[in-house]
Amino acid sequence: MISISMLSLILGIALLITGIFAMLTRKNLIRIVIGFSIADTGTHIIIVSLGYLRGRTAPIIDRAVNAADAVQKVVDPIPSALVLTAIVIGLAVTAVMLSFVVEMYRKNRSLSIDDYQELKW
Amino acid sequence: MSIWTKVLYAVVSVSVATVYGLTLGGIVRKLYARVHGRFGPPVWQPFLDIIQTYSRRVAVSHGNMFFLGPVLRLAGGLGTYLFIPVIFGSALFSNFSMAGDLLLVMYFVFFGQLGMALGAGQGGHPYSPLGIARGLAQMSAFEVPFSLAVIAVAIQYNSLNITSIVAAQQGGFMHWTLFTNPLAVIAAMISILGMNMHAPFSIVMAPQEIPIGPPIEMNGSFLSILQTNRGLFAAAKLVLFMNLFFGGATNIIEMIVKTFFIYMFSVFVGAAYPRFRPEQSFRFFLKWPAFIGVLSIIYITYLGGAS
Amino acid sequence: MVSPIYILILSLAAGFLLSIIDRGGRKISLAVFYGVLAFNTALIIDWTYRFVFLHAPTLVINTAGFSAPVSINLELGMIQAFVLVFTNLTGLLAAVFLFRKFMESKVSSLILYLLLVMSVNGLVMTRDLFNMFVFLEILSISTYALTTITRTKTSLSAGFKYMMAGSVASIFFLMGVVFVYHFTGNLNLDFIHADQFAGTGLVALFMLTMAVFIELKPFPANGWALDVYQSVDSGIVSVIAVINSAAIGFVFYRLIPLMPQSFLTVFGAAGVITFFFSNMMGLKQKNAKRLLGYSSIGHMGLLMASIVFTIGAPSTVRYLIIGGFFVNHLVAKAGLFWLSGIVRQENIRGWAVLKNNRLLLVLFGVFIFALSGFPPFAGFWAKWEFVKVLIESRMFFVLGAVLTGSLFELIFLFRWLTITVKEDETQLEKITTPDSGSVFATSVFALLATVVAAGVMKYFYNFGWVQTLPAAAALIVYLLDFLPSKLKGFVSLGAVAAYGYYIYPLLESNLQLFFGVIFIVGSAINIISTLNRKNQNRGFYGFLLMMIFSFGNLLIASTYLEFFLSWEFMTISSFLLILRGQKAQRASLLYMIFSTAGAYLLMTGFSFAPALTSTSALMLSIEFVKLPLISVIVLAIGFMIKAGSVGVHIWLPEAHAEAEADVSSFISAILLKAGVLGLLMVAISCIAHAPSFPVFYWIGWIGVITALVGAFMASFQEDAKRLLAYSSMSQVGYVVAALAMITHLGWVSALYLAFNHMMFKSALFIAIAGVYYRTHTRKMYEMGGLISRMPWSYMTVLISIIAVSGVPPLSGFGAKWLIYTAFITKGWYLQAGVLFFASAVSFLYLYRLIHAIFLGQLKSEHQEIKEAPAWFIIPQYIFLAGIMVLSMFPNLMIRPLNSIAMHYFNSSISIEGLTVVSDLGYWNGNFVMHITMAIFAVPFVVLLLLRGKTQRVKQFNIVYAAERPESPETTHVAYNMYAHYRKALGGWASPRIENFWNGVAEWSHTLGDFFRRVYTGNGQTYILHIIMYIVAIYVVMGVK
Repeated sequence: MISISMLSLILGIALLITGIFAMLTRKNLIRIVIGFSIADTGTHIIIVSLGYLRGRTAPIIDRAVNAADAVQKVVDPIPSALVLTAIVIGLAVTAVMLSFVVEMYRKNRSLSIDDYQELKW
Repeated sequence: MSIWTKVLYAVVSVSVATVYGLTLGGIVRKLYARVHGRFGPPVWQPFLDIIQTYSRRVAVSHGNMFFLGPVLRLAGGLGTYLFIPVIFGSALFSNFSMAGDLLLVMYFVFFGQLGMALGAGQGGHPYSPLGIARGLAQMSAFEVPFSLAVIAVAIQYNSLNITSIVAAQQGGFMHWTLFTNPLAVIAAMISILGMNMHAPFSIVMAPQEIPIGPPIEMNGSFLSILQTNRGLFAAAKLVLFMNLFFGGATNIIEMIVKTFFIYMFSVFVGAAYPRFRPEQSFRFFLKWPAFIGVLSIIYITYLGGAS
Repeated sequence: MVSPIYILILSLAAGFLLSIIDRGGRKISLAVFYGVLAFNTALIIDWTYRFVFLHAPTLVINTAGFSAPVSINLELGMIQAFVLVFTNLTGLLAAVFLFRKFMESKVSSLILYLLLVMSVNGLVMTRDLFNMFVFLEILSISTYALTTITRTKTSLSAGFKYMMAGSVASIFFLMGVVFVYHFTGNLNLDFIHADQFAGTGLVALFMLTMAVFIELKPFPANGWALDVYQSVDSGIVSVIAVINSAAIGFVFYRLIPLMPQSFLTVFGAAGVITFFFSNMMGLKQKNAKRLLGYSSIGHMGLLMASIVFTIGAPSTVRYLIIGGFFVNHLVAKAGLFWLSGIVRQENIRGWAVLKNNRLLLVLFGVFIFALSGFPPFAGFWAKWEFVKVLIESRMFFVLGAVLTGSLFELIFLFRWLTITVKEDETQLEKITTPDSGSVFATSVFALLATVVAAGVMKYFYNFGWVQTLPAAAALIVYLLDFLPSKLKGFVSLGAVAAYGYYIYPLLESNLQLFFGVIFIVGSAINIISTLNRKNQNRGFYGFLLMMIFSFGNLLIASTYLEFFLSWEFMTISSFLLILRGQKAQRASLLYMIFSTAGAYLLMTGFSFAPALTSTSALMLSIEFVKLPLISVIVLAIGFMIKAGSVGVHIWLPEAHAEAEADVSSFISAILLKAGVLGLLMVAISCIAHAPSFPVFYWIGWIGVITALVGAFMASFQEDAKRLLAYSSMSQVGYVVAALAMITHLGWVSALYLAFNHMMFKSALFIAIAGVYYRTHTRKMYEMGGLISRMPWSYMTVLISIIAVSGVPPLSGFGAKWLIYTAFITKGWYLQAGVLFFASAVSFLYLYRLIHAIFLGQLKSEHQEIKEAPAWFIIPQYIFLAGIMVLSMFPNLMIRPLNSIAMHYFNSSISIEGLTVVSDLGYWNGNFVMHITMAIFAVPFVVLLLLRGKTQRVKQFNIVYAAERPESPETTHVAYNMYAHYRKALGGWASPRIENFWNGVAEWSHTLGDFFRRVYTGNGQTYILHIIMYIVAIYVVMGVK
């Protein structure tokens, strides 16, 4: 039987590949940004899946988990912490990318990446 | 021997050589005339020419260098001759050979040519530099077989000292370089054709193309100096060849006989052949004669030669 | 002492507060902004001071009250401090540079900039991998945002490509971090060890390191970076190229201890490949900023390679190499990017506007020299030590790639420099008065480069002041440049004399003294001809003194490095002197390329050489050194390039011809002798330690062929200076051939000829300089008949050409006599034959020179021309006097040379009174002189007595058939004088060697152009490159 962590790992990798594939093949700038977002999400899922321990709960100390036995009850907290940070950062990057897209469209009235290749060689 | 005795001897030696050289020139003119089907001038015609040019009322000069040109030319001839020991074992004809060896003689040849070229250059006539350019180029080409032959001789006798080279050839004609190192002599004898500028190498004064060539502007007493030098310089070259390749001479008769035949070689060739174009001439020397020169060195170095 | 964590805290705090403060006016917010940046810089400088001078221990800062690994910790040691000093300083100065932008833009730019600087500090100090990820992302995001400080279509699209690439890299980095955590259970670098990455763990390490490496822009996965460099505002680009790269490079450096050898090798190789290819691709680049981009990428590759390949080296050397490349790249690149912001010219040809601003031009020169690895700048020392390390660890492919890549870089950098100095700028828009902030920032960095250079020389190598004198002299004269030229000329003359006085007691042998006379006395006399220069004549005497002092320093250099340092100073100064020529762009570039190629060979050769055992001058101590064969060959080629030997001579005619008239004499008469000196040194070592392959036998052949080719080429020239240049080549060919014999007589003749050549070629070049000064042409056929107008110059040329040709009785014959005797004694018969030929050919060009200029028909426009100025005539006649004395008393020269050579060999000549006797013959120069004078005097006097009969006639009064000569142009025979010889030589006269080098140049440019086509300009292609690159590296590394 496939464990949940394995499943999410596969899902994460699939998303990652899909996202990168989108970045490589879509011509529309916004789609490229979406591709990045998908790949980023895939990464996050991979991270969470790596830190998952079977039968444990989220590493949040509240009523369900008290501080004393937290070590036995929760999954590895560090990947989870990482993911939280990474999500924030990913969001910021996406935002910056989108703002670029907006600005590029304003300047050039085009969303196709093929229209932005005058810099070369 | 005091230096003044030396000087006196040198004066005698130079006079003999000049008279001999001029006479040779007369003979050559006669000879060419016969080949051309004329009677030709008398043998002493060169002497008459000198007197004639010398006694001109004025000598037209184009400037100081032009004035110096013939002087340097004659000095070159004098020097070349004076640095060669003419007759082996003779104090009278040993000249100033203690000043330097074969290399000195070879380079002193250029002294007069350079001086003449400079003087003629100031003459301003276009034929002068044309002739000089041809002459220099041809000279550089025939220097190749000649210098290779000289090197072969130097290897053979392990000396650049002309007296020693002559000394080593004494004791019968089989000791002459001609027989001990024939390849070198062939190379040198081809290059003397160029030096003497008879046909097919008469491109410098080629009468049909650049009449008279470098000395075209020379006249009057300037020309008389050049004519004097022509005799002396011819003698000097012949003596050098005789010393290097034909066993030298122990007396004046031997000297005259040997040099006469050396000279006649280029005269005969000259009478028989048509003139090359300049580039043909240069190319000629840089091909087979140069190769023979190289062979002579290989022969003397690796196959032992005579020594 | 303030904890460096305040850098992070203060920057963040100020960043958040700025948006509020800005309401009170931009001035206040700018004050805070610059205050924070200055504070950061000052703080880190303070720490550096503590580490360096007070030997403070490495500082570890724990956060949140726990120690690692529970908490995040920072570490500040010497290395971090070093990196941070330069990054913070660059950050501060880049901000100064951007002052105007920051005045006008939104406050967010300031905030982003602070965040950027903060993240760089964090990135360098942190020990935690995830922390690194966060700082890296802050760095990236703030950089992305800052690229829009000027919004053009290109900068936006470049920024977008940058983000696409950056995000892929960051995904990889994040995955790497997590996987590393997965395998090691830790994120703190202090607790992670290489052995924790066995087996699958390597994949984690691979992802982590590869992500960092991608950020360092390896070829070919770096198209995005080039676009950014080209299009983004110069100030921000300098930040990206310098600060970001430095920080990320440092991260990579930190990860090195974790990597197995297989990783290191591949990364190092990738760095070298990047360096090589980006420089090759740069060859074709015309856009200044993109060119700098190629160079930046290359330098990062070099930095990576140096980090990886110096692991085995002693740590001080390693730090010098890495630190040297780091600082050099950082300072020069920031400076150049800033200059690009000031110049505002896209095409490198447009940079000619710099000529209107002297300070900026000097700064530009400093950066170009620094970037190309010239002394005294840091890159020079780093390269020297790096080459040594590479050779010690036998990494020859790396060495070859690094040196070839450096040469490519040098070519495009110096093409740029020479175009800037020489291109016509009148058509271009002038530089709008640059704001003082930009110029200030740029100047500080040029100063910084100099200070670092001085520091390295003083503290690392303990050089004395003499070694730095050449550079110092150039600097001092630069400061005094407002003085009139003549005054500077006399001061220089005095300085050279003083220098000569100073080094005279340091010369331990006659051999040194001999070259000292050529270098110092020869130069001093040559200086006289420069006194004719008018006005201020800026820049000239500084470079001239630099060159002369470095000549002298060659003699007293006691280590390979000192020698090489002086050698490079010599190259720099002579290049700059040549560059002053009016049309010297191509010539100086060619000179630089060949000189540098030679210098690289020397560097290699010296690195192969065993250590010196003696402290005396290198020229002497090399006698006891056994140079390995490779070293002999490489050094010999390097020196022969400077001596203009055939095959590598093509720089020589160009440089001689195009240099200013009075500079050419220095190059020919003295500079070429430096090559001779070098070759002599190699030969000295080979006396007792003959190499296993007869290197010098072949050098001898090269020498004689050089003599012949040079003579022929000289004969076919129309340009007087080119003719003399080829003549120099030919003459030095004789010297090289004579040296190569390694016999007593060979060396006597080589040195004799070298000295003679110094005198007659100086005299000739100065004479031609005088003629050029009057006629303004170098084409000989445009002259003629000048003997009547310039008799003094004519006399010089006359005496000199007799001395060149070797016609007795002048000193030239001595050289011929010695050389032929030496060759025949040595048994090099055929070589002697070639030399005879060359010597005969030399009459052709000598006659052409004197005839075409001085004899024949005077041109109508030269009817009223005057003799050359006295400043030209004086040095000529000093040299002529030297020639005459030497001709009269050749033993004055032969006797000391005999004793010099006797130090190494048994004497092969004996000197009896005035006669020199060899094994083969004899020569009495004095006697020959007397006889010549006598036989000249007799006919001369005779002719003089008849003088009453001579009659001077006018110019055209000649015996001319058929037509009356009218114009001198049609009567003067000078043009293509030896056409018949050219015809006779046929195909042999075609310039094969030049064609060969042109082919090499064309091929390398074409190849560079071919490779750069990978950069299609499409962002998606760039990502594809990155992914394929990662896969390729993965496969090559063999990670399972």
